[in-house]
Amino acid sequence: MLRLQNRIIDWALVGGTLAFILFLYVPILTLVLFSFADSRVLTFPIEGMTLHWYAQLFQNPNFYNALKSSLILALITMILSTILGTGSALAWMRLNFPFKRALQALSFLPILFPQLLLGVMMLLWFSVLRNFIAVPMGMITLVIGHVIYATPFVLVVVSVQVHGFDAAIEDAARDAGASEWQVLTRITLPILRPAIVAGMILAFLLSWGNFYLSYSLNGSSQTLPIFIFSGIAVGSSPIYPAIATLNFLAALVLVVIAEKMRRKATRRLAGTES
Amino acid sequence: MSTPGNNRRHWELWISVLPFALLLVLFLIGPMVLTPLLTFQETKLYQLRWTWSFDTWSTVLSNPTYSAVLLRTVWTALLSTIVCVVVAYPVAYALNTRLAAWSNQVQILIIFAFLTDAVLKTFGWVLFLDVHGVGNWLLQKLGFGPGATNILFTPKAAMLGIVYNLAPYPIFTIYLSLARIDPDLKHAAYDAGASKLRTFLQITLPLSLPGAIAGALLVFVLSLGTFLESKVLGGGTKPLASELIRQTFETRVNWPLGAALTFSLVLVALAALLGLVMIGSRLRIGAAGRETS
Repeated sequence: MLRLQNRIIDWALVGGTLAFILFLYVPILTLVLFSFADSRVLTFPIEGMTLHWYAQLFQNPNFYNALKSSLILALITMILSTILGTGSALAWMRLNFPFKRALQALSFLPILFPQLLLGVMMLLWFSVLRNFIAVPMGMITLVIGHVIYATPFVLVVVSVQVHGFDAAIEDAARDAGASEWQVLTRITLPILRPAIVAGMILAFLLSWGNFYLSYSLNGSSQTLPIFIFSGIAVGSSPIYPAIATLNFLAALVLVVIAEKMRRKATRRLAGTES
Repeated sequence: MSTPGNNRRHWELWISVLPFALLLVLFLIGPMVLTPLLTFQETKLYQLRWTWSFDTWSTVLSNPTYSAVLLRTVWTALLSTIVCVVVAYPVAYALNTRLAAWSNQVQILIIFAFLTDAVLKTFGWVLFLDVHGVGNWLLQKLGFGPGATNILFTPKAAMLGIVYNLAPYPIFTIYLSLARIDPDLKHAAYDAGASKLRTFLQITLPLSLPGAIAGALLVFVLSLGTFLESKVLGGGTKPLASELIRQTFETRVNWPLGAALTFSLVLVALAALLGLVMIGSRLRIGAAGRETS
């Protein structure tokens, strides 16, 4: 009786988890399906399959511009967040300085805070700032917002690996006469590389898919999520499912690489501990 | 700490931590200080004028529309929080027990869906929930009448979207707190003759509560700022605070009012985050206690 009860609970847990995964992929699969639909209206069942919408997508100049802005923004955000996040992660673990706890709490705020409110407050700030220095709303404000949002994520990912890092290796290099710069570039950064690469990919994806901050900070430039949002607000068109499908494919590749790197980092961590 | 040398430390500090700290002070603290100040100003002819008055606040407090929207937002956030945690707990529990061998793969699946563009996913739900969409087609095939899930463009659909976008957060916090529980505790309970259910209720559940509460607070705070779900899926008949805030900036260009509404939500969010910090420090003390014992 008790064993039967346990069995039922086990199956309910497994079934529930599978149902949840399915739930997560419902909109994603729906979009992929509709991207091949041979019909202007997005209704089911689908009458035929076509690649027409992909062709049309690449003839759309607004899509190209949005794609370009998103790519530039995500790349700049990725580079800056990785540098700032890695630097902060090293400092948090190795150095003591005044207001350290306060700075740590502040650094996490962008992750924990509703992005829309963050964006609106930054928008107000830039608008008032304009009376003193000209900060044009656009790529610059987007980069500032995205870097503030993505850096804490990089910080967390890299911190995990810095935590398991044996500082004695660095000391050994110093004792052998290596300069600080050599220690950093030949010892510290190479050991941290898997975590740094995983953090980079995360930063790229967070910036790439960001809607809430961009919505307030974009000025007149359109990123891909803004382009899609303004498009679907007017009326649905099959080009949006096509964008979605391409987006999923690219993200899939990046997530797989990031996960490989993260696991490599965990293995290294286990290696240094033993 | 390794070799001393005060000069080196200073140099390292300037390079490593200061740029981000400066960025945070300039573009995070700055806006957070400015926003409440703006609520005491007024706009005339689309221009901000620095005149100190309580006019905006008396409008916000006296006009029932604003308090209704704010209340609805907090209420929606509370409901989403409860649903998210109820959905997340079993998944996190399964990942720690029955599905532990598959935990990595399942987590990648969750992270991938989670990191994908939120605008696109929300649009995917529109296509699925549409009267002529995939969901209704499936239900019809299963023998339900036409238009069985007619929830698109209602607050229910918005809620579904919010739960969809935020449920992964509590999964990860609960998963982490479950993973920290010493398995010996459970084994001891079994050895003492406790049933699986009783062990769960008296050992596992209480010990994983900090993770559940942390996840709940996170969902609550983040759902205060949701906009896409109510705008795209909810149909806009019952707007949430974030829609109203955007509207006051876009169509009415009323900065003080927008700032006041934003600040009201920020206060609620900060109160919840304070709770999160307190739970965080309790967790750390608990973990330290476990390590020393």
